[in-house]
Amino acid sequence: MAKFPLSTARPVASARRVAARLGLAVALVAIQTAPLWAQSVCLPAPRLLTTTPMGGQAGTQVEIVITGEHLDGAAELLFSDPHLKATPKLDDSGKPVPNRYLIDIAADCPVGVYESRLMTRLGLSSSRVFSVGMLPEVTRQSPNNTLETAMPLEVNSICNAIQAPRSVDHYAFNAVKGQRIVVDVATRTIDSKLDVVLVVADARGRDLFVDRRGGLLDFTVPEDGRYIIKVHDLTFKGGETHFYRLSLREFSAGSPVVRQPGTRRVNSFSWPPEGLPALAASAEVEPNDDVAAVQKITLPCDLTGSFFPAADVDLFQFDAKAGEEWWVEVASERFGLPTDPAVLIQQVTRTGDVETVTDLVEFSDVPSPVKVSSNGYAYDGPFYDVGTADPLGKLTIKADGTYRLRLADLFGGTREDARNVYRLVIRKAQPDFALVAWPLHMELRNGDRNALSKPISLRGGATVALEVIAFRRDGFDGEINLALEGLPEGMSAAGVKIPAGQSRGMVLVSAAENAPRSFGTATFVGRATIGDAAVTRSCRLASVAWPIPDSWGEIPYTRLTADVPVSVGGIDRAPFTLTPKTPLIEAVAGQTIKVPFVHARRTDFSGATMNLRPIGPGFERVAPFDVTLTADGSEATVDLAALKTAPGDYLLAFYGSAVAKYRHQPEQVMAAEEAQKLAQADLDKLTAEVAQADAAVQSAAPADKAAAMQAAADLATKRKAAEAALAALMTRLKQATDAAQPRDIVDIIVSEPVQIRVKPVESK
Amino acid sequence: MDILTRQHQRQHSAKLAFALAVGVASLSLSTFSPSARADDRPISFVNEVLPVLTKSGCNIGVCHAKAGNGQNGFQLSLLGYEPDEDIDHLTLESRGRRLSPGSPESSLLLLKATGRVPHGGGKRLDPESADHALLVEWIRQGAKSDVGTAPKLTAFEVQPSRGTVPLGGQQQLKAVAKYADGLERDVTSWAVFESNDTAMAEVAGAGLVKTLDVSGKVSVMVRFQDRITVFSAAVPLGAPVESLPPVSNFIDDHLFANLKQLGIPPSPVCDDATFLRRVTLDIAGRLPTDAEATAFIASSEPDKRAKVVDELLRSPDYADFFAGKWSALLKNRRDDASDMLSNFAFHAWVRDSMLANTPYDQFVRQLLAATGTVIGNPPVAWYKRVKEPKEQLEDVAQLFLGVRMQCAQCHHHPFERWSQEDYYALSAFFSQVGRKPSGTRGEDLIFHKRGVASAKHMKTGAAVLPGALGDKLPAIAADEDPRLKLADWMRSPTNPFFARSLVNRYWKHFFHRGLIEPEDDIRDSNPPTNPELLAALERHFIESGYNLKELIRVITTSTAYQLSSTPNNYNAGDRQNYSRYYPRRMQAEVLLDAIDAISGSRTDFANLPQGTRAVALPDNSYNNSTAFLRVFGRPEGASVCECERVQSSSLAQSLHLINAADIKGKLAFAGGRAERLAKDTRPVEDRIRELYLVAFSRLPREDELQTAVAFVNELPLDAEGKPLDAARGQAENYQDLLWALINTKEFLFNH
Repeated sequence: MAKFPLSTARPVASARRVAARLGLAVALVAIQTAPLWAQSVCLPAPRLLTTTPMGGQAGTQVEIVITGEHLDGAAELLFSDPHLKATPKLDDSGKPVPNRYLIDIAADCPVGVYESRLMTRLGLSSSRVFSVGMLPEVTRQSPNNTLETAMPLEVNSICNAIQAPRSVDHYAFNAVKGQRIVVDVATRTIDSKLDVVLVVADARGRDLFVDRRGGLLDFTVPEDGRYIIKVHDLTFKGGETHFYRLSLREFSAGSPVVRQPGTRRVNSFSWPPEGLPALAASAEVEPNDDVAAVQKITLPCDLTGSFFPAADVDLFQFDAKAGEEWWVEVASERFGLPTDPAVLIQQVTRTGDVETVTDLVEFSDVPSPVKVSSNGYAYDGPFYDVGTADPLGKLTIKADGTYRLRLADLFGGTREDARNVYRLVIRKAQPDFALVAWPLHMELRNGDRNALSKPISLRGGATVALEVIAFRRDGFDGEINLALEGLPEGMSAAGVKIPAGQSRGMVLVSAAENAPRSFGTATFVGRATIGDAAVTRSCRLASVAWPIPDSWGEIPYTRLTADVPVSVGGIDRAPFTLTPKTPLIEAVAGQTIKVPFVHARRTDFSGATMNLRPIGPGFERVAPFDVTLTADGSEATVDLAALKTAPGDYLLAFYGSAVAKYRHQPEQVMAAEEAQKLAQADLDKLTAEVAQADAAVQSAAPADKAAAMQAAADLATKRKAAEAALAALMTRLKQATDAAQPRDIVDIIVSEPVQIRVKPVESK
Repeated sequence: MDILTRQHQRQHSAKLAFALAVGVASLSLSTFSPSARADDRPISFVNEVLPVLTKSGCNIGVCHAKAGNGQNGFQLSLLGYEPDEDIDHLTLESRGRRLSPGSPESSLLLLKATGRVPHGGGKRLDPESADHALLVEWIRQGAKSDVGTAPKLTAFEVQPSRGTVPLGGQQQLKAVAKYADGLERDVTSWAVFESNDTAMAEVAGAGLVKTLDVSGKVSVMVRFQDRITVFSAAVPLGAPVESLPPVSNFIDDHLFANLKQLGIPPSPVCDDATFLRRVTLDIAGRLPTDAEATAFIASSEPDKRAKVVDELLRSPDYADFFAGKWSALLKNRRDDASDMLSNFAFHAWVRDSMLANTPYDQFVRQLLAATGTVIGNPPVAWYKRVKEPKEQLEDVAQLFLGVRMQCAQCHHHPFERWSQEDYYALSAFFSQVGRKPSGTRGEDLIFHKRGVASAKHMKTGAAVLPGALGDKLPAIAADEDPRLKLADWMRSPTNPFFARSLVNRYWKHFFHRGLIEPEDDIRDSNPPTNPELLAALERHFIESGYNLKELIRVITTSTAYQLSSTPNNYNAGDRQNYSRYYPRRMQAEVLLDAIDAISGSRTDFANLPQGTRAVALPDNSYNNSTAFLRVFGRPEGASVCECERVQSSSLAQSLHLINAADIKGKLAFAGGRAERLAKDTRPVEDRIRELYLVAFSRLPREDELQTAVAFVNELPLDAEGKPLDAARGQAENYQDLLWALINTKEFLFNH
């Protein structure tokens, strides 16, 4: 799996700076309290929410403080790259300090963003971005929300900070006239919720330059002196979710600005096409805005250009012959740019001196093949928009002649930004596909607007479904077989293929009931035959950056992840498991078959039945049916005649939702009970011994009396301690019992898949 | 038979019946009154009958031209703009019962109009009048239509078109219509005359203008059929203008020339303290600090006034203040909690544009032709609030061109030259605004939708191509965003509206009265009070590259802006010639900030950092949470009209300042000025001076100082009549003194 960008040098962080970071960390620990029980949708999943600082300099050791939800039993902190290693922070007695880790960043760690995750009793947590850079870093420690408290910054350094609500952070730096200063604030691309506003002001705090569209100010210092940087959220929101990394750098005049590294939006999974060179072969040549200055090109073609200046039109002209078919693809929005490219192709004919231009075809947005969430009243589709404003389409040439391609940015009418670049590729068909997947969600209750990050962290006996979407390129129409491989012990996966001509498939991941605690990085692929070649393509995983209980009030922000982490917690068990009685059912085409399931129920449920719907191509029309939650088994009926199922091998599973009486960490209750029993026994034993000792004092000879009294007193002290220990355990038991009180939580339940082999009707 | 065919047949039979009746009537007339009319010239429906109906007020909007069904089932087109419809309504509708050719005088039309039968509109026509006789004769002649054949009205003028009328004097106007057939007719009795300022001049009867006791410029709009013309009068005061203040720039040349012409001597130039307070309030929307006031008064630099203007224009306070002004005009209003992000982004975009001094034409272009997402390109938020092309063109016309097009959607504009064609041509610029849903409900991505722009004419159904207020533009290709072409047209140096509208709007900001009033109603029939000055400002603005700060600079450094507000013996009554500064109560936000500044308190606003000034508020939502802003008239951003801001006084305002809990809270604010001054160890005189400097930007006069010192030193009594302890007593005294200063006109007004 491809990792994020490159790197080079790195100095070493001073111990003082590490200590400084600690200052902030203390405040944060207090924020992290009990698990968030507010939502009653989806069983608890471990989520790493913040790491402070949010990154570090290559070649240094950084101490971080983490916060998150459902991180009970936190152990290893893991990264998506071996250049980063974490060890728990130990106190003076050698015990780990909760929520603190030391991160060693290898000196040769490339500059980039990496995923950090925590292994917990529920498995691997969702990830949080950890950035690695080359510049020295500091972490803001005390409030700097006035001009007077502005925090001094060195030019060529990075500051990690958390934006407080309704406040403006102030920084100060000195610069000399003519210096080119670039202030770059990373927020959304490092998983922060901050919509950053960046201001550079004079020493008196009077605003000079402002940016509100992406956290970058690139300016030439007007005169020697002290300058103030102000940072705040567009609507002055803040809190621990609103962190940022501010880099203050000097650049030489004219050199290109490389921004801080960041994650990529979900729809960029479809770019670039396999095998496309990193750099285009040619570039647009301005002016090419009108017919008089049209740029001549020959096909195939691969060039870069820019939607600049405002209302820029790039006009290309080429010759083509009847019968040729060309595929035109533009990338710009998928670079993360705020553009909306549109392509118009026209045929140019000439009669004498008169030129006639006829519109042939227009290419615009590629819509998502599945309905995307409208963030409306209730869940109505995934939060991941795989559609793009970038055009892709086929151009069929019907007559020899001259053609013109007009490329413009429909968002570019008034915008003057040379950074809005594009890449235009015109090629002969290279049929291919790209894949992206995310954990399935569905409406789990009336008005369910949860947009939750769902790590692939399974409970024993659970099956989860991943929704997989294919972006088909250049007419590739064949079926795509999905596979999740390299799973840890106790886990298995079944790929429900994407049928020919379709775009949606599923992968079902299951954990055996007794699967041990384990984690790893899986390989997620799709396989297809294109022409004569067997082709394998990686499937990217997408995640929402933050669990959001109300997507009406807050639009979920989604991104691609670096890899595909999978795990089993090894302690919690799935509330309900549906296992097919036999893994394979053979049938003859046209038959009606029964598919029996065995139920394993591990908790009580609200409601008596659960409605199950089918998963599996060819079986979409299998009638949903109800299963009785208290029954030991159920049976689905599949009418192959009605479905007109052709002979072949199929995969069928069912899914539905049910409200479990979920108990949080019931093992803690048992452990506490056990401990309480032992303590009680200890106390009983001591009580008896004290009684004996008291008796011994009574009966002791005068010479032994003092010793006996001393022994009795010692025992009494011990008994007191045992009483206290028991009382503490009673409290612990009460807490554990309270925490383990059954709570109604609705979640998706997916059956393990069954293979259906349909054989042809035997001819007589 | 479909309904249209049935209607047609019914109309047809009505026509027939009418023709027969006419025949009978003619017979009877020719039999019994052969010499009813010496002149047998046929009466023109279009050029004679309709003007009579218009003059009589039959076809105004509240009467028979009321949208829908007119009055009592009888519908006429507004001001007779649709003669073909009117003839049908008169002769065919209701089975032709409105006209009685057999007995013209008994026609229902005339019976009603003369009040001989009950008429909701009262008596509109004298049965003895020539107009009545004309209608009778037209009906007698068969109520013939000459729609389409009547000679076209080719010119319409008023004689004289300009003049000087003394106070309390009068001037008879004559309205002359010229027709295509060469006929020239005195239509004074049919023309409609309207004064633009009835406090200055009234028009009695047929074109007799009578001036009252206010001097200045007044104009009278004269309307006949679809034509408008204007009589402009100077009404001089005639006082001796012996000396004029020094001229600072071209504004003074034109303004003083006008005062000379009218004989209105100007007040002298104001003192430094007044100027500093005035210009700081007008540019930065705040009071000067005591330090600023002290430094300015002490400075002996000859160009210190110009310097302070530059300093203010450089400050973000200027950007905040003007962003508030523009945000309300651009309807940055919060109707739903989810509007917050787009409102903040939009307001910030305006504010940043002001801070960066983005040329005005660019600012408007970015707004008009905005595309993309709200976060990526905040002016897109304007398209979130102003969704329909109809609203878009109307808002753009009123806000950026000073032209009110609303009327022309349904009919020819009654005070203007704009037709429905002009309306839809302007609308067509917005016809290719494409929308795609975004993740946020109610918020669209805006893009240019490829295609040839056009708008459907409501009446004719025709596709009208883009056209800008009478200017024909070259054809706009399907690939081109027509809004960019509209922006190009606007910024053209020859555009008669764009620069004029802005300079007039800004002029009003600083002088509290537009050269054209209202500031967004620029039309031929509403001429400026000083056309030369307005033209010079326009020129200057265009030549500066639409530089807003430069416009403010030239206005505020003019001597005219710096005149005292204290009237002399002659100019107290002057309300439109700027012979003195017209004081104005501070706007709601400015006043709130000023009270916070003097009391050393602050007002907390939801979602904004502590210390955010009221002038920097992004939208109207804070009017709900802060009663002060509502009481003092902060606009709600519901319209593009500056008139939404209420500047008038009310009892509620007085009571609020005297009594309201929030004012009391501010006076007693922990760590506020009263508390600080009470603990201050400086002599009481120095503390009083600080207060006066903050409140009025000046030092107290000796008598004021003595009064204040005596007041502060006299400790108040408690309930039992004993003096309070010194610390508490002093604090209360300073609070009371603050309260008294806040409640002075000198504090409340920018003067």
